[in-house]
Amino acid sequence: MRILIVEDDPVLVSGLTRILESEGYAVDAVRSGEQAVLAAKQERFDLVILDVGLPGIDGFEALRRLRAAPHRVPVLLLTARDAIDDRVRGLDIGGDDYVAKPFAMPELAARVRALIRRSQSQAGPKVVHGPLVLDTVARRAYLRGAPLDLAAREWAVLEVLLANVERVVSKESIIQAVASWGEELSPNAIEVYVSRLRAKLEPAGIRVRTVRGFGYMLAEFVEP
Amino acid sequence: MSAGRSLRVQLLRRLLPPISALLAVGAVIAYYPVIGPARAAYDQALIDIGLALGERIRLENGVYALDLPVAAERVLRTDRHDQIYFRVLAPDGTPVGGDPGLAPPPPKAVPKEGVIAYDDRYADQPVRVVGVLVPCEGKVCTVQVAETTVKRRHLVRDIVLSSLVPTLLIAIATLVIVWFGVKRGLTPLARLSEEIKERSPRDLRPIEVEHAPEEAKPLVGALNDLFGRVAEANNNQQRFLANAAHQLRTPLAGLQAHTELALAQPVPEGCRTELEQVHLATIRTARLANQLLALARAEPGGNPEAGMQTLDIRRIVEGVADEWVHRALARDIDLGFDLGEARARGNEFLLREALANLVHNALEYTPSGGHVTVRTGTRAVEAGPQAILEVEDDGPGIPPEERAHVLQRFYRVPGTLGTGSGLGLAIVGEIAASHGANLEIGEPATTGKGCRVTLIFPVLPA
Repeated sequence: MRILIVEDDPVLVSGLTRILESEGYAVDAVRSGEQAVLAAKQERFDLVILDVGLPGIDGFEALRRLRAAPHRVPVLLLTARDAIDDRVRGLDIGGDDYVAKPFAMPELAARVRALIRRSQSQAGPKVVHGPLVLDTVARRAYLRGAPLDLAAREWAVLEVLLANVERVVSKESIIQAVASWGEELSPNAIEVYVSRLRAKLEPAGIRVRTVRGFGYMLAEFVEP
Repeated sequence: MSAGRSLRVQLLRRLLPPISALLAVGAVIAYYPVIGPARAAYDQALIDIGLALGERIRLENGVYALDLPVAAERVLRTDRHDQIYFRVLAPDGTPVGGDPGLAPPPPKAVPKEGVIAYDDRYADQPVRVVGVLVPCEGKVCTVQVAETTVKRRHLVRDIVLSSLVPTLLIAIATLVIVWFGVKRGLTPLARLSEEIKERSPRDLRPIEVEHAPEEAKPLVGALNDLFGRVAEANNNQQRFLANAAHQLRTPLAGLQAHTELALAQPVPEGCRTELEQVHLATIRTARLANQLLALARAEPGGNPEAGMQTLDIRRIVEGVADEWVHRALARDIDLGFDLGEARARGNEFLLREALANLVHNALEYTPSGGHVTVRTGTRAVEAGPQAILEVEDDGPGIPPEERAHVLQRFYRVPGTLGTGSGLGLAIVGEIAASHGANLEIGEPATTGKGCRVTLIFPVLPA
């Protein structure tokens, strides 16, 4: 996995580099948007961490030029600005996620993992979450290598949660993703599917957290 | 408005002398052209009497005599208002008939077309006298006819009245028009001052010059200029704060990254404590930078409507929910939501910031195992539905006597643990004010224990 960091503050670059390297990524760093565009043309990266406030062309412009290239690399925007406009603008022109400076490293690492996983699951048919593997083409699930029996609705709910690891997913959005047209699905039904999923996944250390009054969150898998 | 400074009183004071003078001049101007011909007409009547009397002078036996029958004399002397007197003098000046007491004409008087007219007194009354020279038997006799001045005085009075009354009415009308006209003329100014009075101190938008009366435009212009300068000064200060906070963040991010890296490595125990303190201080500084930025944004700027839109606060909460869930999980606090539709006019960035500060405080001060609930909803009041944003916890709460102080910047409740800057609630207060929302600090209604902060937004305009 190769990550390109585009950031002009050397202290932050060295910190980021070492943290990401310790997570097992190969890291390259450049200090300007122009260099970033050039580097992305020459090499293939799995993720670009792009600072918005760069000297020369800013992060938005760099992002626009990156998006003009045929290969769509996931981009995580870093910014010291946090005006909502910047966030919306960044995501509008093709940023995949957004982290406001300063940030805690575990949070950044989690976002990096999520972005890379997401881009790979789009590329490949298999979604992996710790001991859980979802083969989205064959529609089969495996837990610790053993086939896992999932009802269609359970599968659908799990897919939504897996696409949003470490993010809170509201019951409403689960209903929207799971229910077919013209079908009424109550929040209680979602609770039932989640409790069934829990019963199946928790023995393997996969935790689905309840956020009271809101929804659920599939926590990052931690080796026991 | 003191009488000395009232525009109306001043105007009236200045108008009164010239109007009075004009009235006087008007009366005089009206008087003279009328009085001359009128007097001449009355004089002519006397002259006619004189001529008629002249016809009656006879020379009999070398002696002039007046042949006037009693009936004719009565006719001559008849007048509705005045007494008429006459005297006829022979060419040598001896009286021939009439009232003997009438004095002869003053010696200096020069006859004009055979007539001498003058004022005199007779029987203790002012009289008008004409002396008419009439031919008698080849010589010239004089007939004096006098008349008391009652008619003439009436005439003067009538003329003066008839010219004064309309001018006086015009003058009174002028004053009345000025009195009310000024008031009416000043209503745009009164409206203007109402408009300025009703302004929120955060509203520094220029006043619309088009609506101001022409004369007040320089004033409005000067006010707008002042508004502009104040807004500019505010904006500069905000920009400075925002830039400073912004510039702090990148080095802080670097600092945080490195302390976290250092902490992830095996370090000697003494060193670890120091590093942890550095790490905490970094996080606190970063938070402070964020808060300063938020404060700069929430402060009154040039345009309070900037960034405002009609939104559902519930969506804002939903959008940022997972920013706090991790923190709550890490602190073993049950963070829950109770979300209903809450439509209000607001600035999304500022509302997120207010929310972040409220939730941060709740998570900070609630002990492990506690509960924090974020609530949005709509409350119906007489004026319509009001959006509510509320965060409550079952932590120690804020004692009632401290509630008034916690909105002050950098104020911390005495004896509070934790690492707050004392800015969080001040920011929430500023943001509430910028939204025209009420901020209530209390305790959860159900348990009565803990802290509940509620923002109540104004009813959306229809």
